[in-house]
Formats: sequence, C-alpha cells, structure tokens
Amino acid sequence: MFEKTLTDLIQGLRANKRNESEYIGKSLEEIQNEVQLSDMHYKSVAIDKLNYLHMLGYDMNWANFNVVEVMSSAKFGEKRSGYLAATQSFNQDTDVLMLATNLIRKDLSSSNFMEVSIALDGLAQIATAELAMDLFDDVLAILDHSRPYIRKKAIVCLYKMTLKHPEGLHDFVPQLKERLDDPDPSVVSSAVSVICELAHTNPRNYLPLAPKLYHLLNSSNNNWMLIKIVKLFASLTPIEPRLAKKLHGPLSNLICTTTAMSLLYECINTAVVGDIISVPLPVTDSIGREIDFAELCAHKLEVFYDSSDHNLRYVGLVTLAELQVRRPDLVVNQYETILRCLDDPDMGIRMRALQVVSGMATRKNLTQIAKRLMSQLILSHTIALKPGNTDGEPDEGELESSPLIDPSGVSLVSAKGSFTTPKKAANSSEPNPADSPEYRLAAVEAILDMCSRQSYANMTNFEWYVAVLVDLVYIAGVDVGHLLSQRLLDATVRVRQVREYSVRMMRRLLSDSQLTEYVTGDSPNAAVLSTAAYILGEYCALVPASCDDIGLLLLPSLRRLTSDQQATFVLAAMKVYTNWLQDVSGYWNDEIWELVRSTNTTTMDSVTSLFFGQEGDDLDMAVAELPLQVESLLRHFIEITKAVSVATSNMSASEPLLCRELHSLFTMYELNPVSAAAQGKVPVPEGLDLESWIGDEIPDTSLKVIPPPPPPPTQRHVRTAVDDTRTSGSRKADRKNQPFYLEDAADRPRNMGKLPDVEDIPVMQLDLGDLAMSQTKSRKSDKPKKKKKSKSSKRYKKRTPEPSPPIVPVDIVGDEDMPDIP
Amino acid sequence: MGIKYIFLVSRQGKLRLVKWYVTLPQKEKTKIVKEVSQLVLARRPKLCNFIEHKDTKVVYRKYASLYFVAGIDLDDNELITLEIIHRFVEVLDRYFGNVCELDLIFNFQKAYFVLDEMIMAGELQESSKKTVLRVMAQQDETEAAENAERGWGDI
Repeated sequence: MFEKTLTDLIQGLRANKRNESEYIGKSLEEIQNEVQLSDMHYKSVAIDKLNYLHMLGYDMNWANFNVVEVMSSAKFGEKRSGYLAATQSFNQDTDVLMLATNLIRKDLSSSNFMEVSIALDGLAQIATAELAMDLFDDVLAILDHSRPYIRKKAIVCLYKMTLKHPEGLHDFVPQLKERLDDPDPSVVSSAVSVICELAHTNPRNYLPLAPKLYHLLNSSNNNWMLIKIVKLFASLTPIEPRLAKKLHGPLSNLICTTTAMSLLYECINTAVVGDIISVPLPVTDSIGREIDFAELCAHKLEVFYDSSDHNLRYVGLVTLAELQVRRPDLVVNQYETILRCLDDPDMGIRMRALQVVSGMATRKNLTQIAKRLMSQLILSHTIALKPGNTDGEPDEGELESSPLIDPSGVSLVSAKGSFTTPKKAANSSEPNPADSPEYRLAAVEAILDMCSRQSYANMTNFEWYVAVLVDLVYIAGVDVGHLLSQRLLDATVRVRQVREYSVRMMRRLLSDSQLTEYVTGDSPNAAVLSTAAYILGEYCALVPASCDDIGLLLLPSLRRLTSDQQATFVLAAMKVYTNWLQDVSGYWNDEIWELVRSTNTTTMDSVTSLFFGQEGDDLDMAVAELPLQVESLLRHFIEITKAVSVATSNMSASEPLLCRELHSLFTMYELNPVSAAAQGKVPVPEGLDLESWIGDEIPDTSLKVIPPPPPPPTQRHVRTAVDDTRTSGSRKADRKNQPFYLEDAADRPRNMGKLPDVEDIPVMQLDLGDLAMSQTKSRKSDKPKKKKKSKSSKRYKKRTPEPSPPIVPVDIVGDEDMPDIP
Repeated sequence: MGIKYIFLVSRQGKLRLVKWYVTLPQKEKTKIVKEVSQLVLARRPKLCNFIEHKDTKVVYRKYASLYFVAGIDLDDNELITLEIIHRFVEVLDRYFGNVCELDLIFNFQKAYFVLDEMIMAGELQESSKKTVLRVMAQQDETEAAENAERGWGDI
C-alpha cells in the first residue's frame, strides 16, 4: 500500500498550489481510510498528516477517537504524535476526553520518564475541569519524582490544573512551598513562576513566603527567576507596606548593577508601580553619590527612552507615564527628550509620548508644547498614506530556505546595550504617522486637555487660547467640531476679558466663505459655526456693530443645518440686528434713517426668503420643512422688521423709540454660566412632594398594535411582565446558539400584557371577520417554534397572571377625528 | 499572566505553527490569529516590536521570512517575552542546525516538541538550551530505536 507519509503530503501540497483544495480533499479521504486501519503506525502517520491540515484550518474533530487510540500506543513516537494532535485539536467539550483519563493516568505512572513527560505536557494543554479533578492526585504524587525534569513539569502542570479545579489549590500550595527548597534550580524556578501567577490573584496566601523569596532574590543570579521574583513582590507590596522598605535595598542594588535590560525594566517597573519609590531612604548610586531612590529610577529610565532602540523607548515611555502619575516633578525636566519622541515614526511611541507630554504641561511650557503639536498637525495635512515595503517580493522558496538567525543576534538578558534587530530592513517610503486620524484626534485632545486642565490653571493668555482653537478648526483634519465648539463656548462665557476678542474671531470664522458655503448639519464645522453664531449674537454689544453681520448670520445654506443650529443662527441674527438698531439710534439723522429703512427691507427680504425657500420651490413644502422652532423664530423676526418699517415710515428728527429699545428684548438679564450641579443645590420648597402622583395614574400608552377583538378569552395568552423576564433569559441564550433561528415576534415590543378588555375597545370596529380567525391561528402556530417554548407557554397558561395595573379605557382617535393641517 | 498564545506566520500570511495557552472557542482562536497576523505583517521594520491589540499586548520578531508572534497580558514584561522568543529560535537553530523556514514546514511536529519542552502553560519552564537539546536528543533516540525495530517488520 502506498500510504503517503507526512513529508509526501507536505511536498504534494507545495507542488499543487493551484489546486490546493482538491488535493487536500483527496488527502482527507485517504486519511479517513488510513485511520481505520488496524496498524498503529499508519494510524499515527495519518494523525500527523491530519494535524498538519488542522494547522491550515481544516477541522479534524471527526478523528478524535482515533487520536485517543494513537495516544494509547505503546510506542513512544506514536504516543507523542497522538498527544500532539490532542493538544492541537481538543477543546473543552471534546467528549472523548473521558476516554483519555485512564490512559493519561497510566502514562503518568509509567516508569519511562519520557512517557510521563509527554503525559504531563499534554495534560497541561487539554485539562478540563473533570480531567483536572480526576487526575489531580496522580500528578500531586509525581511532585516527588526522582527526576527534577519531571518535578519541574509537574509543578507547571498542576498550576494549569488548579485553574480548572480550584479546590486542588488547597493541597497544592503546601507542596509548592516545599519545592522552593528543592536542590535543582530549574524546579525552584518553576515553583517561583507558579507562585508569581498565583499571587497575582491572591497575594495574601503567599506573604509568609516573603523571607524565602527575599533570600532567593539576593542569592540567585538566574535572571529569569529574578524577574519573576521581582514581579511577585510587586503584587505583595500593596498589602504589606513593610516589604517596601526591605526591598528597597536589593532592588536598588539590582538596578545599579545589572546589565540586563529586561531585569532593569522589571525592577524599575516594580519600584514605580509597587510604590517603593515613596520610601524615603537614600541610595548610593554607581558613582557613590547619595540620591533619592525615585531619582535613581528616573535617571535609569532616561537610558530607556533616550535610546535609539525603539523597543526600549516604548517600554521606557510606558513606565515614565506611570512615574509621572506619582512624581510629576521628576518628569518635567525631561521635556526636551520627550518632545523628540513625539517625532518618532512609531505610532505607539508617539501616543505614549503624547500622554507624557500633556501630563507635564505647566504655565511656562504650555505654549511651546501646543505649538509643537500644532506644527505637527499642520505639516502633515495630507491624509494620503504611501504604501509600505515597496521592494520586489523575492521568491518564496528562496525566503524559506534562508537561515532564521544571523550570527550577530544578541541576547537581552546577558548583555547591555540595544537589541540588534535582524537584517533585511526594507527601504520603504515611510508614511507619516501624523496622518493617522487617531493620532490627530489624540493630539487635538491633548492640546485641549492641557489648556483647560484644572479650570485653566495653566493658561496665561486666553486670547492665545481662542486663537489656537480657531486654528484647530482649520488644521485638525478630524472631526473635533463638537469638542472645539464646546471649548470655545466655555472659554468665552467664563472668561469675561476674552469675550471681545472672541467675538472678533467668530466674525472672522463666519465670514470665511470656505467654511460656510458647503456646510451641512452633520459636517464637522457646523457645530463650530453655530457656536460662533451664538457668541456673536450674545456678545455683539462688545464690538462696534456692523450691519454686515446680519448678512453673515442669515446664511443661504441655513436650511441644511440641523434645527438647533438653525435656531441659533436666526436668534443670533435677531440679536445682532436689534443691537445694530440700538447702536445706530445713538446718532440719528436723515441718512441714518435711509440706512435703517434700506437695511430693514433687505433684512426682511432675506428672512422671508429663508422662510419661503428658494425661487421656484413649492411654498407649502418649503414652509412645512422648516423645524417648528425655527419657523416661529423667523416669524418673530419678520414681525420685528415689520414693526421697524412702520416705526420708520415717516422721517423724523429723533430716533423712533422702537429702534432704541428693541435690543432690550435680549438684554434683560445677563446669562451666566451655570454649573452642572447647580440644580441639585436648589432646596425643595416646603410642602412640595415630588414623589406623589399629581393626577390619576396614567396607563401605559405605549400601545402600538391593537389586535382585533379575539374570540373566547380562554384561548388568549396573557403574557405579563413576569413571564417575560423568566423566559427571555434561557430562550435568548438558546436562540443565540442557533444560527438558523429567525428573530420572531418575541423580540418585538411586548405590549400584550396591557390589553384592554373586549368591552373597553372603543368605537372603531374593524371589520376583519375571517381575518381575525386566521390571525389567531397564525399566532398560535407562531408560539411553539421550539418544543421548549410550547411547554413553557402551556405552563404559564395554568398560572394565574399577576394583577396588572387597572386598565383604563383608552380613547383611540380615529382618522376622521384628526385636526386638519392648515 | 503569562503567554497566551504563540504562533509563527510567514510573510505571505501562512501559519506555520500555533500554540494556545488559554482556552477559547475555535472560532475565536482563528479570528485572533487572523487579526494579529494582519497587524504584524503590516509593520514596518523600524518600528518597535510591541503592539497593543484589544486587551493583550502582542510581541513579535521577524526572523528572515518568518514572524514569531506571542501574545501576553497587559502587565507582563514585554522585553522578557522577546527574550523568550529569541531563546526558542536559538534552540531551534541548534536542533535543526542553521534552521530555515523549510525545516519548520517539514518537521513541524519536532518544532512543536521543542516548544513544549521550553514553554508549558504559558510560562518558560526551561531556560537552559543545553537541557532542552539533551531531552530532545533522548526522545529522538527512543523514537529512532522504535522505528528501526519496526523497519525490519515492514519488509
């Protein structure tokens, strides 16, 4: 028989690149035949091949039983293949796992240590709760095995099993603690790793081990283990502050002396995160000076983020951000270096640097930082990204046979200095990461955050701030309109002195036709423009009035904005107009009278054109399209202009009273900003009960569907709220697992609970006749879509429904009764 | 804590080896592998080797045409993971003798066995290269002996 070996399969696959799926289909058939053979060798070869195909994405669950068969082979090689296949393809609910229990038990107690080892390996991967429970004691017994190799594996395997079978932890922990004294260093090392993991979730249990671990920390020079111990202490120090003092010594020693970057990183991280830097004892650093421990950490961190190796930079910045939270003073003088990191092509590094930079903003450097960030945004205003690696793709075969390691590879743990990345750096045209919208958004948010932190604690010049906000409107490149408009409003309203400047800037914004011409309700600039309009209207008294402003505000594209925005614009236009009138009334003469009349007419025209839409539009439609709020405002405006035209119909020597006083419509009270918590501070007056009902209880008017009057009430299925909650959970869960289940009536709003009685249904008699019968029939067939559902519905029929709230007859208005639209 | 998964992917996106140390449904696993390999394959050479992906950190390193990718928790030490990957590659190199991707394709089970010796349940269990190689040699001897016996029976 010519069964293909694994190598043949792989070679065949590579040869048949074009008709891969056929070839695989054929091979799968062959494999199916092979696994049925009685010879274990062929079976195991078949399983190997299947394993390979599984890695390519083909399911191999149909062969689970065969896999277990192969696992049970006496031959080591076959057993190994079986276990490998098991670890790759078994998951939590593979049913054949139960068969494997005894098999694994036999292997665990085998005299051949290699069998024991593969059994342990496999068990660690495929352990389920049942397997773990059954085999726990067996593995526990192996902890005393004569070979350290096995002991080490047993420890790690037990850890995995306790994750599935937590009760076993009880027996495991004392043994684990003993293993710390094991003569073999690798066993100790695994014990430490496992304790580190366990301590993460439950540090208190392992606190008594601290002295032993401390001893290990000082005595060992196995860097891998040291890292684990240091990490362990990071989870222990929060619950035992005295540990911090004790760790201070060895940690600082390690930090000063170690040459391994990863260990250094771990130590500094622990020191920062575990709050050991708050210990005030001084340390002697490498040149004999006495400095603060925190300063030492900061100093060493500099090596990281200042290095040219990107990995170290990233890692350094992460820890620096942590340090900044606790000791911002140490970070502030690293300003220059961090700013340089902002220019790094790597996105992750930039984002971290951004975080650190925005944290270190003070009064003095705020403008500098903001300028730097904005210049980044400006420089890369083009969004187009260029593609990466553009060198020609070498042949796949050639690539695959080139060695993975080139001899200059350096290991981190033993040597200082930067990690050399392997060769083959492609010369690609680098897209600028500032083009990415995430970065831009983050940068804009950082600028805003820096400026407005702690009620503008860092702000010295608000006019500059407003100018920055306006610039950001132009250069942001991402949708931050709402954010910017909010900040503009905030600054203008809360800071009196800047209002005048702000109004001027807003005027500038609104006169920029680029922004206003094509704006629509959801474009990013709309929010900014509407805020600009509001500010202009509210504080127009602060700047010399100009009748051009009115034109600015009554945009031709107004209708394309949302209703709130439109209302803002119209209201602002009214305020500006009346303000101008008032202003002009101050120096009344004949020319002014002419001016007022003509401006009034033009204003009236623009408003009415806004009201009635463009030429040629259907009048009714145009008016009907206007949001109600805007329509009423426009009507007001028209009335005002009419009043003004009446008042100025005759040329008079002095200004009409109307013109002078109109603006007081808007200036009765000055609007101050109100804090969000203000409402809560208003005391409830005596005798006012906010909890009791004012009138009769209002029934649930969420009725959307009134079913036709059903025949005998016994067949009706009153579903109350109680039923709903009980069934929704389990049924919904079932439904989710069934991909073919259609969303049915149960997911539509459940209004059935509040059905009015038959007699209460008012006037409208729907003449449905036989339609009613068929509807009830279809409703009944709808219900038992699944067997479970019908059972539950039957159950609920017998139960008495909970008393529902009193059903008030609902007066449903028929079509004839609807008021006519004028 | 600990490593959640390790996989090797070629530059063309073909998966060469995958090992999971957490239990997830099969669909989740394939989804994660696909997403992360896309992220990794799109990285330019000068960027740092750590990516943040949902709630895990992805540590990767490119060796010739193969990307070695490991997924770790947010509070794990990335530098040490990079070191673990490097160790693994060094052991593979010694084991196969100047290993290249082809070796890993044709002897994928051996690669798995080496990985199992070094990393179990997401933790490094053996950092000494010599020990790992010694154990692998022993296992291979046993297997060869078995096959030799068998070989005679075939004829």
